[in-house]
Amino acid sequence: MDRRDFFKILSTVSAGVATNACGKKEDVLIPLLVANHEIPPGEERWHPAVCTECGAGCGIIARVMEGERVVERNGEKFRERIACVKKLEGNPLDPVSGGRLCARGHAALQSLYNPDRVAGPMRRTSARGNAAFTAISWDESIANVAQKLKASLDDPSKILFLTTRGFGSRSVTVQHFLESIGAPPALTCTLDAFALERQAAASVFGWNGLPRYDLGNACYALSVGADFLGGWTSPVYYARQFGHFRQGRPALRGKLVQAESRMSITAASADEWVPLRPGSEPHFLVAVSRVLLDEKLARNAEELPDGAKNSLLAANLADLIRATGIDEKRVRRIARELGESDSPLAIAGASVVQTNSLDALIASHYLNILLGNIGRPGGVFPPFSSVVAAPRNANVTDAIKQAKVLLLDGANPVYSLPKSSGIPAALAHLDLIVSFGMFIDDSVAYADDVLPTHHPLESEIAAVPAVPVTPISVAIAMPFVQPLHNSRPLEQILDGIAREVNAKFQPSSAASFVLPLLQPDQTWDDVARRGGLWRDNEVTNVASRPLENNFVWRDPVFDGAAEQFPLLFQPYLSLQYHDGRGANLPWMQELPDPVSSSMWDLPVEIDPHTAARLNVTTGDWVQVESPYGALQTTAYVHPAALPGVASMAIGEGHTHYGRYASGRGANPLSIVSPTWDDSVGALAFGATRVRIARLDRPPALIQFSPNDREQGPWGYR
Amino acid sequence: MNNSNQAQHRWGMAIDLDRCTGCQACVAACHAENNLPLSDPESAAKGRAVHWIRVDRYYEGEFPDIRVKYMPVLCQQCDEAPCEPVCPVYATYKNPEGLNVQVYNRCVGTRYCANNCPYSVRFFNWFDPVWPSPLDLQHNPDVSIRMSGVMEKCTFCIQRIKRAETDAKNEQRPLTDGEVQPACVQSCPAEAMVFGDLNDPESKVSRLAGAGRATRLLEDLGTEPKVFYLQRAT
Amino acid sequence: MATASTVIRYEQVRRDLWRPLSGASSRYLVTLLVLSAVVVWGLCAWGYQLHKGIGVAGIRRPVFWGFYLVNFVFWIGISHAGTLISAILRLTDADWRKPVTRAAEAITVFALMIGGLFPIIHLGRAWLFFWLFPYPNSRLLWPNYRSPLFWDVTAISTYLMGSTIYLFLPLIPDVAQLAEHATGWRRRLYSALSLGWTGSDQQWHALERAMKLMAGIILAVAVSVHTVVSWDFSMSVAPMWHSSIFGPYFVVGAIFSGIAALLIVMAIIRRVMHLEQYLTPHHFNNLAKLLLLMSLLWLYFTIAENLTAWYGNEPKEMNVFGSRVRGHFAPYFWLMVFCNFVVPFVLLGIRRLRSIRTATIASVTVIIGMWLERFLIIIPTLSFGRLPAAWGRYAPTWVEISITAATFAAMGLLYLLFSKLFPIVSIWEFEPHEEPED
Ligand SMILES: Nc1nc2c(c(=O)[nH]1)N[C@H]1C(S)=C(S)[C@@H](COP(=O)(O)OP(=O)(O)OC[C@H]3O[C@@H](n4cnc5c(=O)[nH]c(N)nc54)[C@H](O)[C@@H]3O)O[C@H]1N2
Ligand SMILES: Nc1nc2c(c(=O)[nH]1)N[C@H]1C(S)=C(S)[C@@H](COP(=O)(O)OP(=O)(O)OC[C@H]3O[C@@H](n4cnc5c(=O)[nH]c(N)nc54)[C@H](O)[C@@H]3O)O[C@H]1N2
Ligand code: SF4
Ligand code: SF4
Ligand code: SF4
Ligand code: SF4
Ligand code: SF4
Repeated sequence: MDRRDFFKILSTVSAGVATNACGKKEDVLIPLLVANHEIPPGEERWHPAVCTECGAGCGIIARVMEGERVVERNGEKFRERIACVKKLEGNPLDPVSGGRLCARGHAALQSLYNPDRVAGPMRRTSARGNAAFTAISWDESIANVAQKLKASLDDPSKILFLTTRGFGSRSVTVQHFLESIGAPPALTCTLDAFALERQAAASVFGWNGLPRYDLGNACYALSVGADFLGGWTSPVYYARQFGHFRQGRPALRGKLVQAESRMSITAASADEWVPLRPGSEPHFLVAVSRVLLDEKLARNAEELPDGAKNSLLAANLADLIRATGIDEKRVRRIARELGESDSPLAIAGASVVQTNSLDALIASHYLNILLGNIGRPGGVFPPFSSVVAAPRNANVTDAIKQAKVLLLDGANPVYSLPKSSGIPAALAHLDLIVSFGMFIDDSVAYADDVLPTHHPLESEIAAVPAVPVTPISVAIAMPFVQPLHNSRPLEQILDGIAREVNAKFQPSSAASFVLPLLQPDQTWDDVARRGGLWRDNEVTNVASRPLENNFVWRDPVFDGAAEQFPLLFQPYLSLQYHDGRGANLPWMQELPDPVSSSMWDLPVEIDPHTAARLNVTTGDWVQVESPYGALQTTAYVHPAALPGVASMAIGEGHTHYGRYASGRGANPLSIVSPTWDDSVGALAFGATRVRIARLDRPPALIQFSPNDREQGPWGYR
Repeated sequence: MNNSNQAQHRWGMAIDLDRCTGCQACVAACHAENNLPLSDPESAAKGRAVHWIRVDRYYEGEFPDIRVKYMPVLCQQCDEAPCEPVCPVYATYKNPEGLNVQVYNRCVGTRYCANNCPYSVRFFNWFDPVWPSPLDLQHNPDVSIRMSGVMEKCTFCIQRIKRAETDAKNEQRPLTDGEVQPACVQSCPAEAMVFGDLNDPESKVSRLAGAGRATRLLEDLGTEPKVFYLQRAT
Repeated sequence: MATASTVIRYEQVRRDLWRPLSGASSRYLVTLLVLSAVVVWGLCAWGYQLHKGIGVAGIRRPVFWGFYLVNFVFWIGISHAGTLISAILRLTDADWRKPVTRAAEAITVFALMIGGLFPIIHLGRAWLFFWLFPYPNSRLLWPNYRSPLFWDVTAISTYLMGSTIYLFLPLIPDVAQLAEHATGWRRRLYSALSLGWTGSDQQWHALERAMKLMAGIILAVAVSVHTVVSWDFSMSVAPMWHSSIFGPYFVVGAIFSGIAALLIVMAIIRRVMHLEQYLTPHHFNNLAKLLLLMSLLWLYFTIAENLTAWYGNEPKEMNVFGSRVRGHFAPYFWLMVFCNFVVPFVLLGIRRLRSIRTATIASVTVIIGMWLERFLIIIPTLSFGRLPAAWGRYAPTWVEISITAATFAAMGLLYLLFSKLFPIVSIWEFEPHEEPED
């Protein structure tokens, strides 16, 4: 669909319609559920929806056409015509996606139509962890859960709700439910909740949420540790920004310098890659800031809080630069280029969380203050000030160990938390584990009751994007296809449970979430038809002045003796799997990894020198051993890996997660040290040392492009 | 057939490598749009995973002075397509709009065309494809499923071209620039890909194809591709 | 020149050559059984491939052609044994050819039958092979005359037809004689095949003329067939395929492997059928010298092909060249040079070493070497295409190996059956009859 055409049609069609059932070209967004018998063969309709594959919350549109499935009733097979989702595209009206979609977003279809979705409520039939279940009825299931939950209501603080990272009507519903039974707020343990990025924004500015970097209008960007084009906070948005930054403005091409401890796709796309030692990100950022101050290039030095300024001025520049391992001239040149740019921007992220990542994120905010770009075009923008906080990612292991009841909704602690933190074991002592998820994953395998919710593409959703572009930003979807399975909306399930335990509880809906945000001239229909509410004429009441704080940066801590475990282990979020959740999508499994070109598995990436020392070539099996355990996988000899740093994308190594992910590959998180960031208690998954040994097994890495050099001098072996 | 009124459009694409991030949204988009067969670890290990568009990646230099080059490669829709004359049954030929089309029903599976495609963008159906139910509900009804023994490759999303042309014809108006968007182009988050009519000198793709950074892949072979790569600026 | 015909009496000749046609030793039957089993196994493998899909073979992207096309080129090469050798010798009236021609011509026909199957076996949809033929149909669909594969179809059909006629013509006087002496179904078969041959002068005249004519035609067809086969590769734009040398290179390789095949067959026949008197060291010596000559020619072409690629230093070609001479395929390459040049050069070039035994040994290595040559022409180029990101490695599966094995067994089997039905050495050419004057 052409974008302009789309806008034209949207502006001329009146609200709330789906009256032209057939005959007319239907390039309109229809927010209503289409009855299966109303689907004209061969005709397409487009419905607004929300992508929930990552926290970015892109507004999307779904193409719905007739399809056919075979259903069994009373032992007989019938062919049934149903409305099917055929394709997803970005919603052109949504300022986050801008009509674009990432690879993961496309694959949401394969989670909707995944052959391994839970078909209806189930109860455990064997020991926890075996994932043996039997189907039961909804009434039975809800009564059963409610009955067991009742027993724990004496001490509701022992009820732990683990959710995913999204914030919107669903999280409000969960919050209201938990309040109604007196339970503490939900937590999350997903790695892509970006707890540290949130914490840094809170501690420097008092912001609640993730700041937005206006890369598209910047001239020179220094990005430190943020793989913003791969697995970071809002991949589509930042890729769009990047495209514009590079070639979207006449006669102006932005320059990107990426300082990161691995060659991410962002580093690959950058004009310059600065290979930083893991954990030296704060030092690098402080050094750059200090050079700016020294060379009088900090155009906005007066706004820097005194505590921070004093810390910067007290720093020993030579020591800082030494810690980064980067040539001093180069650090100075980058600082100078940044300081002299018309529109400079520093972006920092913790795509790999170190013990001191928070310091780097804070340092980056101070650097942006020095550059005077807070709240300015090409700079850093404060987040949408929300009424309800996103679920926190904090001390989840302790919470699990203290809980009696665990309610799981999309979180996968068994996969996301290291074995050394005692997680699968801690699940044994719980009185009740309930899952509301659509799949049997590593954690749901331990559940007593599985009460599957609808797929997001079958649900009513209002979701606030992780990185809102306009001050008021909510993406909205109304159900538009019949649910495929015997699942229920979470609101209905929780409502059913609340009734049984005599709690009073008001579920939130997309409408109730959005209505308070509407202006007098806006209607719900209007918003539902457009797929969201994005209002930018709002006056932001979010302060952009920094809080007064002291600033200290720490050296990183790595667990394990350097002599025994010589390599730093860096699990990272990849673009195809993010926190590991994408592994059950066959399109993601067969998407060649951007680093190693591997498919259906993920290797550990080691540098050529280490590889030569270990006598390892690409494809060889290796054992990666930390003080906390070992995993076995194949190796990719990465020409751009830092010497002494072994990286591995997170995603494979699920014990349970459907046919496409179960038992495939290794989970790097399983062997990391139980080291937690001491500010928010998020897992510092980059703080482990390992050693690698070659295993004597036939090579097994599956690569789409085994050759990674353009000139193989004599053909590859 | 009268060629002069047939060749109203000449579809082409420009890919700006300075924008491209290597994110492979285009790859997934193509899978979703074109009912590409699913691989499994065994078939992928045998080099049989199908990606009508792929992102070639090359490392250049040695650490720390190393760069990565990403390059999306799809059928280049060559004007002088080497894959065409070698097909013994005319299963792959040039349509009046300049597209290199593949007739699945006619293909007997000699794989000669794939050997003679210098860009290695042709993929073969070694077996009948399988989609465990209900994954097949996602299939695009505008695109046929390919059977065992036939060749397939990027079609420039011909189904979308036809749909747009039909719509425009029904509404008795000319196609506007940008109205036709193949799935990969529509998705590309960095907006690195531009699709349009090379016959229209004012179209965005024509202007980009004439820009200073425009090159074509393996141009010296004389294949006259209709995919233009705008080289990275540094 | 002393040839068998001048020494041995005609009656003796007939007795000696008719003897193998009757009865069957247990060795014959066991061999027949073993070969049949291998052929049936290969057919089962093919059936399995037809049923499951061509994917049961090891071919893959980017190596879309594998063992099947290697075998195709190889067997078409072997087919040059007969025609070229017998036609050249017939046209040049080399008298020593007489006991050799029939054996050679049979090789041609069988090798073509086998080789011609491979383009069908390798099709993704083999059951639609007839679409490659131009035949009238309601959809007005025709094959693409520009495709070298279509040229192949044409050339090979012509060659198969021509060489069958060429095998058949000199068989006529022999079957006519056999028809007189045989009984039962054999009699019926032979008289049907003799086409009413009475041995009249007029008939002899016509036969001789037809044979001369066919020799000329078949020579041209044979040269063109292998040139066309080479064009499957050289008409493409793939590195190291797009080469003008391929035509003559393939023809030379074909004759080379053809002579080797002929030598092996002759050595076996001589031993098994006790034809020591007919296939004398003299014949082996002549053919061995020819083999040596072809070995040198082959070396010349191989050097010419590779030297130009190396000297040209074109990166895409160097990837393929390098993989052959010092990369992944180097062991096969150097084994090929050893088999095709070192062994024949040493064993046959040194006069003292040249014997029936060494000629046979050299022929066996040449067969191996020439199979490897076809492999090395096809696989490395496809493995290392123009875009290095699309490189990939090929390994055959049991299906391809089974079918390959079955074709060698099929060659043996067809030969076994043929030699039971027809005298493997032309009898009438020993007969002292009036040579018609031209
Ligand atoms: N790519 C490709 N193209 C082909 C073919 C192919 O195999 N491949 N096949 C060709 C062949 S053989 C044929 S016959 C044609 C068919 O081509 P078309 O005749 O275009 O066939 P359909 O698309 O099946 O149907 C035409 C329209 O009729 C509508 N329709 C259904 N019932 C009725 C009715 O009762 N009244 C009216 N007024 N309309 C109705 C349908 O909704 C549809 O929009 O396609 C040809 N084109
Ligand atoms: N579900 C469904 N069924 C339909 C229709 C529909 O729209 N949907 N349409 C109906 C209509 S209108 C029609 S006309 C029929 C068409 O029905 P069919 O005539 O069965 O049409 P195709 O499916 O196009 O298949 C034709 C066959 O020809 C083969 N073929 C291709 N090239 C050649 C060639 O050169 N020679 C030979 N011998 N064969 C070749 C193909 O491999 C294929 O197997 O289907 C009818 N049935
Ligand atoms: S960035 Fe995240 S929300 Fe947006 S399309 Fe991709 S996976 Fe979906
Ligand atoms: S979607 Fe766009 S940016 Fe991403 S790899 Fe494809 S062409 Fe490049
Ligand atoms: S890119 Fe390959 S398949 Fe496409 S037209 Fe050119 S030669 Fe043919
Ligand atoms: S594989 Fe199909 S399209 Fe390609 S050359 Fe052979 S018959 Fe033609
Ligand atoms: S143009 Fe269409 S068919 Fe070609 S690669 Fe893009 S999405 Fe795939």
